[in-house]
Amino acid sequence: MKHESTDQTAWRCDKCQQELELTKVKVKYMEGNFEVDLPKCPSCHQVFIDEALALGKMKEVEEGLEDK
Amino acid sequence: MNLDKLLATGDRCIHKEPPTCTANCPVHLEIIDFLAEIEQGNFQNAYKLMEKKMPFHKILGRICDHPCEAPCERSKAGGSIRISDLEKAVLEYGAYKPKKVWPLPKNKGTVAVIGGGLSGLTAAVDLDKKGCVVTIYEKTNRLGGRLWDFVGDSLTEEVLLQELKAVADKKMPIHFETTVDKNKLSELLATYDAVYLGTAAWEEEIKWNPLTFQANESALFVGGSLVNQSDSVIFSASSGRRAAISIERFLSKVSLTDSREREGAFETPLHFDISGKEPLAPILKSAAIYSQDEAMAEAKRCVKCQCRKCIEGCVHLRKFEMSPDAYIRQINHSERIILGTHYANKMINSCAECGLCKEECFLNISMSDVIHETRESMVERGKMPASAHDFALKDMAFSNSSRFSLVRKQPSKEESKDLFYYPLISFSDYVKGLYKGTGKTAYLFYPGCQLPASYPDDIKSIYEYLVGHVQGDVGIYLGCCGAPADWGGQQALMQENIEAIKRVWEEMERPTFILACSSCMRIFEKYLPEIKLESLWDIYVREGLPNKDHIKTPQTLSIHDACGTRENSDLHESVRKIVAKLGYGIEELEYTKEKTKCCGYGGLVYYANREQSNAFVSERIGESENDLLVYCAMCKDLFVSGGKRTYHLLDLIYPKADGEAATRKMPTLSERHDNRSRVKQILLKEIWREEPEETMMEDQFKLIIPDDVKQKIEDRYILSEDIQAVLKNAEENNERFCNPETGEYLARLRRDNVTFWVKYEKEENDYILKSVYSHRMEIVEE
Repeated sequence: MKHESTDQTAWRCDKCQQELELTKVKVKYMEGNFEVDLPKCPSCHQVFIDEALALGKMKEVEEGLEDK
Repeated sequence: MNLDKLLATGDRCIHKEPPTCTANCPVHLEIIDFLAEIEQGNFQNAYKLMEKKMPFHKILGRICDHPCEAPCERSKAGGSIRISDLEKAVLEYGAYKPKKVWPLPKNKGTVAVIGGGLSGLTAAVDLDKKGCVVTIYEKTNRLGGRLWDFVGDSLTEEVLLQELKAVADKKMPIHFETTVDKNKLSELLATYDAVYLGTAAWEEEIKWNPLTFQANESALFVGGSLVNQSDSVIFSASSGRRAAISIERFLSKVSLTDSREREGAFETPLHFDISGKEPLAPILKSAAIYSQDEAMAEAKRCVKCQCRKCIEGCVHLRKFEMSPDAYIRQINHSERIILGTHYANKMINSCAECGLCKEECFLNISMSDVIHETRESMVERGKMPASAHDFALKDMAFSNSSRFSLVRKQPSKEESKDLFYYPLISFSDYVKGLYKGTGKTAYLFYPGCQLPASYPDDIKSIYEYLVGHVQGDVGIYLGCCGAPADWGGQQALMQENIEAIKRVWEEMERPTFILACSSCMRIFEKYLPEIKLESLWDIYVREGLPNKDHIKTPQTLSIHDACGTRENSDLHESVRKIVAKLGYGIEELEYTKEKTKCCGYGGLVYYANREQSNAFVSERIGESENDLLVYCAMCKDLFVSGGKRTYHLLDLIYPKADGEAATRKMPTLSERHDNRSRVKQILLKEIWREEPEETMMEDQFKLIIPDDVKQKIEDRYILSEDIQAVLKNAEENNERFCNPETGEYLARLRRDNVTFWVKYEKEENDYILKSVYSHRMEIVEE
């Protein structure tokens, strides 16, 4: 699950006022566990998921896991 | 899930069964394919099919007694297809030089063939091809036997000689002018590994097996005129071919009888309903043989008999191009795999479980039941995709929560005594009903969850009508019957829900339930047969309609019956009586009453596969020019969304002043929740005069939602309470991202098993939504 985003660069964590950093993040669904590089606030660890990712690749992986 | 039983059901499906023509053809020419090739003008391809199945096709194609024609289904609509004439045309226009066949090594054994007629030659040529060393014994001085009697305009001497020469060219030894009698036969049986007897007559009676053509379990096999009851040439050829199969098996020492049930002519289990086809007379020949155009036109009359009744009626089966037998094989595969992808999941969750397939099936095969059982099995095995039915199940939970659920007896006489004054007591049926109250609940009005969500303002009126019209006290019970759990295959949840309903019924001393929703009707009949039911529509017919003289513009309507009521013909009649009484004309749809279709909501297909649901909607609304009349809230919702003018029966019984009933957009998913809560509030306040314990959920943030975002919210099954919760968390805890370039915020919140994201802009106290989306995957933030 590779993340390609168009507009993430401008986004920053509002709580910590920090720039987001591409970091390995654990994601899980059903019996699937992965590590993916996602933009994340280095301080509060909020992970940024944009619409294209949620409805594109992420949904695809969800559906794949649901049919396993 | 019992997979053997499942496969047995699939085997009963007659979709794949051959048509009567092929079944009655002793050599099983694939006649539908044959005619389809001719129809396309592909005479060579048609010829190839004859060559493949028909022994001596150049002879038989000209003289066949065509047992295929009489049983042709077309005979009931214009006249049988002239298959025999078409074979002659194909020999004329499609013939090509035979391909050179490389002979097999002759190591299968030796066979004597007695009789050089059609059956003997067929056996000889087939056995030669299979690798036997064949010797022919013929009593006359030429091959062909009675084939010579057929020489005439159709089978010319030239063609016959050519074909017989082809046999001679195979270099099988032929003993002409050799009469075989009993003694000679014994001699041949001693010399050869097997003997085929294909003479016209024999000196004594021979006992033979009708399946294998073997005589006395010996090395002797018989065929041709000896075994045929008639003088049919095609049967004669077929017997020679079948005996050759037996001889090969006999020589190979394998079972003579295995898998031979359908050799020769047999009765096909196929049923074909030709009633819908326009009669078409056979195309006449302008000469002795059809011209190519005539042949193509004649072949075009073939209706290609195949049972597709269930498929024709069902958008789902057509979308996946699945017949029940194929569908069941897929389910079987899906049930058996342990590791691997369950490709059939989406398909299984795209059925509306409406039951039309069973209604259309000659054999009552219900794919709806099969699919339902599969869903239950998927849930049990933990293989049901969570996303398919999650929203509907949460909606069910909402309806059974305190935000909607309510049980009340009819307000007692004591509580209502302030209403018993003139003129109210004289003019209000409702107040009269309260005055007659006994304290014993005879009826419990159960409007279901979707009707109150779509028609929140009418529930109170219906309740008052019922109190004023039926004999005995009427209580109310708000909740969800469990249809989503049933459709989703969630049996445990379903049973829990049923038990809860049963408890209320017992506590209320077993009243009759008055139902207004067709899905509730189906669920109660299926799971709660002990509860006596009445439909609201039946009561309107019996007790009279509540409002008089309110017809604005009488028009003709087409009634779309709800699929949940398929088997309830009394209810269908009641609905029609109401519509007629209100002054509307009725034009029945082709698929109506017990053969009604699903609107596209059934089986939760609306949630599991929106594209499939839309296909249900668009097919159904295209079936009538008239405005539709429905009596299920979801049917109305989907048809109006599809752009069809549609009335719900309540629109006619309780008309609203705006006159826009047929086009009124139905409430959004969030509004449906709010409406249910509002119904509870209205009833508590205005009927029971109680102060509701819970106030309506007030929205904390004022949202400005552009139309495109509104549509996304609906399509993505997101509720406004989800959005409010995300905003609350974002605003109170600052948990959000900001984009200094655009001034936008993006916030997320995990609720239960879904993460919701809201992109918004703030303008003073307004929250302008830019987008909303969600995912089920969990992000571990650490």
